Amino acid sequence: MLRITGGTVFDPANGVDGVVRDICIADGRVVPQVDGGRSIDASGMIVFPGGVDVHTHVAGGALNFARGLVPENQRAARKFLHTPDRRAGLGGMTPTTFATGYLYAGMGWTTVNEAAVPVLSARHTHEELHDIPLVDKTTLVLMANNEIVMDLLEGGEIERAKHVVAWLIWAAKAYGVKGVNPGGVAAWKWGKNANALHEPVEGYKEVTPARIIRDLAAIVDDLKLPHPLHLHCNNLGVPGNAATTVETMNVLEGHRAHLAHLQFHAYGGDDWSTMRSESARVAEAFNTHHNLTTDAGAVLFGDAVTITADGPWQHLLYQLTGRKWGNLDVENETGCGIVPYVYKDRNLVNAVQWAVGLELLLLIEDPWRVFLTTDHPNGACFWRYPEIIQLLMDVEYRKEQVKKLPAEAQKRIVLADLDREYTLSEVAIISSAGPARALGLPRKGHLGPGADADVTIYHGKPDDGRLFTYPRYVIKGGAIVVEDGEVRAVTEGREFVTRPSCDEQIEAYIRPLFPKIYTIAFENYPVEIERLRHVEILPCR
Amino acid sequence: MGGKITCTLGEVKNRADFIVYWGGNPAECHPRHFTKYTLMQKGKFVPEGRKGRTMVLVDIRETPSAKAADIFLQIRPGKDFEVATALRALIKNQPVDKARVAETGLTVERLQDIADRMKRARFGVIFFGMGLSMTRGKHMNSGAILNLTAELNAFTKFVCMPMRGHGNVTGADVVLRWTTGYPFGIDLSRGYPRFNPGEFSTVDLLVRGDNDAALILGADPGATMPQPGIDHLSRIPTIVLDPKVTHTSRLARVHITTAVTGVSAPGTSYRMDEIPLPLRPALQSPYPTDEEVIRRIRLAAAAKSSWKPAPSAMMAIA
Repeated sequence: MLRITGGTVFDPANGVDGVVRDICIADGRVVPQVDGGRSIDASGMIVFPGGVDVHTHVAGGALNFARGLVPENQRAARKFLHTPDRRAGLGGMTPTTFATGYLYAGMGWTTVNEAAVPVLSARHTHEELHDIPLVDKTTLVLMANNEIVMDLLEGGEIERAKHVVAWLIWAAKAYGVKGVNPGGVAAWKWGKNANALHEPVEGYKEVTPARIIRDLAAIVDDLKLPHPLHLHCNNLGVPGNAATTVETMNVLEGHRAHLAHLQFHAYGGDDWSTMRSESARVAEAFNTHHNLTTDAGAVLFGDAVTITADGPWQHLLYQLTGRKWGNLDVENETGCGIVPYVYKDRNLVNAVQWAVGLELLLLIEDPWRVFLTTDHPNGACFWRYPEIIQLLMDVEYRKEQVKKLPAEAQKRIVLADLDREYTLSEVAIISSAGPARALGLPRKGHLGPGADADVTIYHGKPDDGRLFTYPRYVIKGGAIVVEDGEVRAVTEGREFVTRPSCDEQIEAYIRPLFPKIYTIAFENYPVEIERLRHVEILPCR
Repeated sequence: MGGKITCTLGEVKNRADFIVYWGGNPAECHPRHFTKYTLMQKGKFVPEGRKGRTMVLVDIRETPSAKAADIFLQIRPGKDFEVATALRALIKNQPVDKARVAETGLTVERLQDIADRMKRARFGVIFFGMGLSMTRGKHMNSGAILNLTAELNAFTKFVCMPMRGHGNVTGADVVLRWTTGYPFGIDLSRGYPRFNPGEFSTVDLLVRGDNDAALILGADPGATMPQPGIDHLSRIPTIVLDPKVTHTSRLARVHITTAVTGVSAPGTSYRMDEIPLPLRPALQSPYPTDEEVIRRIRLAAAAKSSWKPAPSAMMAIA
């Protein structure tokens, strides 16, 4: 039992905006009242629900590939020393699993969504997630380039495709559905891409990216999954891609969807030399589409590692940078590409990217629909989120930073004209309450009775953006795990999965396809539920 | 420069029409590779099976794998790097020195033909073995193949993959990467992972005699390491966990017999393309699993007091 007394509570999901009140905790949940037990004096401190990351890459084949690809980064990374209750590890751009848990919790984040899991290697992803302590986890399974699904859409068999999708979610023991560059990753297996939303995908006659997007969104809605289709749009990173993004919003009309890392999809211009921000156009379109949520995918200057299932984009990035390139195509399902990258403030393109992420966070009016992410480790590492919060909360500081950009870059962005400053309540929304609601996690992102007792307590002046760097306390599931930015106790996190209902006959359809397409036995494909420790199956809506 | 352009084996089965094995003898060392993944299977986009695929073997001698190949390139020992580099030049239409190519045992015309075929392929793949990665040039040879593959993607789809072997060596790589950030050659003596092949890799530690104890799991270095390394293993307390008597277990102080993973112990094995496969035991074993033995050793070690300084003092170092 635990009582947090005298703190200024920000719990936007329950309409609490900076009210001094006590938070009581028993058996890992928030409760109306407790008698006895420890109490924390939070007078003068700020109490937030634990942070929720709606889009990050922290585990699985692609990230682990990246770790092996950049030992020079790991050498420069922050070291985590082995102690009696903590495992050794490395921070940096691609942190090791245990360090990932320490870093997230150390920042006050207690739930993360691993946003790209192939079914074929989902077993590996879950093994890694188990080794990430302190945070609860959800996973999204990659579906928009799955050839079994695409072949069914080609034949107009949407109902059967729906059952296949449901079967695959449970086979991967995943939580939701992700689409990456629909059709483009499948085309990449022939060295092609899918740039036009309404033109057939390489190797198909009827299937276009737009159809994959619309049909998958409809399927996810039909299956009543807690989280809508999580979409990485076509033409990521390409100058002029704002048109594709706006058109994707039109395609999605009538369905729920989450557009991932919008920063990478809001550029104007015709090529790299004319690239400019189109955040105003994208935000304007987004503001009118109330069926959608998004996350920033913000960029910060410095080192990053780009990791995405978007194989063709990564090939382009390799050709542009001449740096290392990793590529891993996964039979039938997806692909992945990795290129280490440095965002430089003197670089015109990088300066525009930096601005676009912030512009979107400021121009999208409803904080309940846009969330704080860097598409870790693509735009920047997740442990740099406090830097972004500072930029959002302090307009003068932000404008100073804009002035440091090359003059040519300043002409191509609108950030200097934006005076909005985030309030503490809005920060709580974009970092916790909003993403929890979008993920459909009813016990996360708020501090009402029944909520998981994930609480972050900050000590500092509310007008100081740096407030968020070191939480005074982080409470996870009722246990005090972080004090003064240092991990004090290590608990294991849980995994949330869903089990959408599907026609049991669908297995009879998938099984004969298996020896033709795959190189492993059908029986070895689904992840056994026993392999997930601390698992909780959440109901579909 | 550098990197790795690869795929899962099913991609090769479904798409590859041009397959190169370089410095390996899959017919004898990976006997199911041809039949399950690369040559004999009918793939989704290679419905004609073997007829739809061209296989090239690059090696220094005519092994039994040459019989399976459509084209066999016999090169002189230690010339892998030169051949790969000449191919990199030829695919980009850069001039190559005839005399230098002749030193590899091949002709420019022969290599030009291979370069042309590579660029014409719809989906090409290079599998490279220890005949490439463990001979003169070592990682430079692998680097040349990795770069060749990356650069071919400017013309067509091309991937490559090392021919990993030795049981679950890929699994060890995978797990070490997620726990420590590095695949092998890791030192934890400072309390955090450090990586330096040549300094911390097993063979170098043993040959220099740097370590004063050894715990050996799922490997038989007594059969494969250089003699000075083997001599060192027999000098120090060596503990072996193995279902069978091996060269290493014979020179070890302690041999703990364990259940055979995959036969009488469950677990996960990672295929050479890093796809995890569940292992389901068919039999029961009277012996403990590797995991159980390690767990019990760990518990016993944890019961002892730590030799390390207190955590707070250590954090100051970081």
